[in-house]
Amino acid sequence: MQSENCPNCGAEVIFRSPALPARICDYCQATVKRIADGVELAGEVAVLPFDVSPIQIGTRGEYGGKPFDVIGRIRLGYDQGAWNDWLCLFSDMTHGWLSESDGQFQMVIERPIAETNSDLIQHLAQGGDAAIGDRTIIDGSEFTVSDMRSAKCIAAEGELPFAPSTGWDVFNVDMRDEQGFSANFEREEGEDPGFYVGRYVTLAELKPHSLRAIHGWKMPDYAA
Amino acid sequence: MPPEPPPEDDRPNPWGNAAETQTAGPTAKRTVVPSESDSAPAAEQFNCPNCGGSIEIKAAGLSVSIACEYCGSTLDVTNPDVSIIQRYEGEVRKLELPLGSRGMLRGTEWEVIGYQRRSENGRYPWDEYLLFNPYAGYRFLDTDGRGWSFGEQLTASPDKQSLVGFALNGEFFQPFYAQTRAQVDYVLGEYYWRVAVGEEVLTADFVRPGKMLSWEHSGNETVWSLSELLEPNEITDAFGIPPAKGGGLPLPHQPSPHRKKAGQFMKLALAVAFALIVITSLFGGTSDPQTAQINLSTNGVEQSAKVGPIILDRARQAVTVSARAPGIENSWIDLTYSLTNRDTGEVFEANNVVDAYSGRDAEGNWSEGNRYSSSKFSMIPSGTYELNVYAAGSRWTEGQYGSSSNAQLEVTIEKGATFYSNLFLALLFVFVPAIWQWWKHLSFESRRRSDSDFTGDDDD
Repeated sequence: MQSENCPNCGAEVIFRSPALPARICDYCQATVKRIADGVELAGEVAVLPFDVSPIQIGTRGEYGGKPFDVIGRIRLGYDQGAWNDWLCLFSDMTHGWLSESDGQFQMVIERPIAETNSDLIQHLAQGGDAAIGDRTIIDGSEFTVSDMRSAKCIAAEGELPFAPSTGWDVFNVDMRDEQGFSANFEREEGEDPGFYVGRYVTLAELKPHSLRAIHGWKMPDYAA
Repeated sequence: MPPEPPPEDDRPNPWGNAAETQTAGPTAKRTVVPSESDSAPAAEQFNCPNCGGSIEIKAAGLSVSIACEYCGSTLDVTNPDVSIIQRYEGEVRKLELPLGSRGMLRGTEWEVIGYQRRSENGRYPWDEYLLFNPYAGYRFLDTDGRGWSFGEQLTASPDKQSLVGFALNGEFFQPFYAQTRAQVDYVLGEYYWRVAVGEEVLTADFVRPGKMLSWEHSGNETVWSLSELLEPNEITDAFGIPPAKGGGLPLPHQPSPHRKKAGQFMKLALAVAFALIVITSLFGGTSDPQTAQINLSTNGVEQSAKVGPIILDRARQAVTVSARAPGIENSWIDLTYSLTNRDTGEVFEANNVVDAYSGRDAEGNWSEGNRYSSSKFSMIPSGTYELNVYAAGSRWTEGQYGSSSNAQLEVTIEKGATFYSNLFLALLFVFVPAIWQWWKHLSFESRRRSDSDFTGDDDD
């Protein structure tokens, strides 16, 4: 835990994770970046547009036997819609992304690109292109490129492993296999490309607590 | 040192670059409907930029397009300003499940937020409602008037099976409808994709009792979904509407209403049949045989012999008398049995015959008749009995082959009997209802499958 003051508005900014470099100020939406001797301003994001996501900063759950806390989110949009990537801090201080799109959830965890044998991922990491329907082997299973898009950062909140700003360009490739496993490749403006592997999950199987209460809707029994 | 905030008009469009491709026209601002509790708000509101009607976005943050429930115009809600994609001025349809209806289905509350009328080029139309719950995501509710199905988009693909079908979670689905085009004929409400009347997808369907697995493909996207047929009361309990009227052919995934009964009846019949066979073999059977030999000429002259005495000690019992004449050819022996109680003089009579004929005709050699016969007396009272056998042999002389002039007849009397004909009748009686149920089941299945594109190669 590290407490700092927002260099933009002076409000208290708390870093819960020991290693994540950036945090969006809850009050002024400034992107606050950790540096050697404190923090600096690294941009600004827009106010999050309203949505009815059941997840919020502070939602807790469990994945792969490890408890996690939701500590950040980036919202990405393109001409066909938008989605949320929720940053989950696990009890062992590693992190994963709970991706929320079309009412379905995936939990994915970053993998070093150098360690994957997938030619497609290596090709993408070198700036190459892919096409929907392309196939590649990841962890011995065949994945197919199911979707691919250029999106922009709409807004962000909480702690993040990068310092986003609104309008940031993100190139995103979704892959899935036949068993419900999923993989993502992401190339962001000014950041190293990221490769993530995980699977589709139901909200119930994450054994969530502190879900967002939404007016007029009953909290599910598994989260009550 | 705070950086210069970017100039206001230079800020990137938070919804991507869609706005640049929008055609100019009236737009409407969205506002969040305030929550009446501590909970987060549940909807956004705006006025339709075409007709001014007040519209709520229920799946805010997920919905991409909306067909106005008042004027039917399709609207783009990916931007803070709602814009018109396509104007529509027609009369909007009254829906069986109005948008905004809520109901509990399979343990979760759902709100109806979208409606599509779909068809195969105008034929075989069906209604597809989009249901939403912020904690549970989306579901589909389909009906073509014969029943309601509750469906969900899958995150895993089913496994292709060598038996020309698909397996999902260990359940096999048979092909039912081959690949065909489905189109959107009408749409109202909000969707997480860009809905448009006339949009086409390729579909194919696979079924098992109570469930349908559907494949949809458009452009380069493939979507699998699984739907379950609801019980008629489930739709009524959930939304208070009457159940589907039904009629016509069964639904492709409608479970046979006779299958369970047919199975139960058949199991019961098999159990009863087994019991009957056991009982028959335990209590049937014969004992204490006594035999007499009679040599007779096949000249029509009756000869007699006595067999016995035989002592029957049970109050009532069966007696079997059998006759055997292994050597006869083209002759027959008429038999009259009279079983006499030595003490009371009571007489029980029976007639039988043993015979054997053979010859040759255009089709070759033939033979008929039976050199063995048996007669069963039932319910004979206890006592000491004697059997008188009267046998008269005759020759059949019209055949090409010779006939026996003599016959050796062997007559045996035994206590007890096995009434196979009774057993047969009992079994028939027991199996008739089971076979009737199976027939009803199979004819239901054949009607159900008659609409399939794969009727021929299916012998389940």
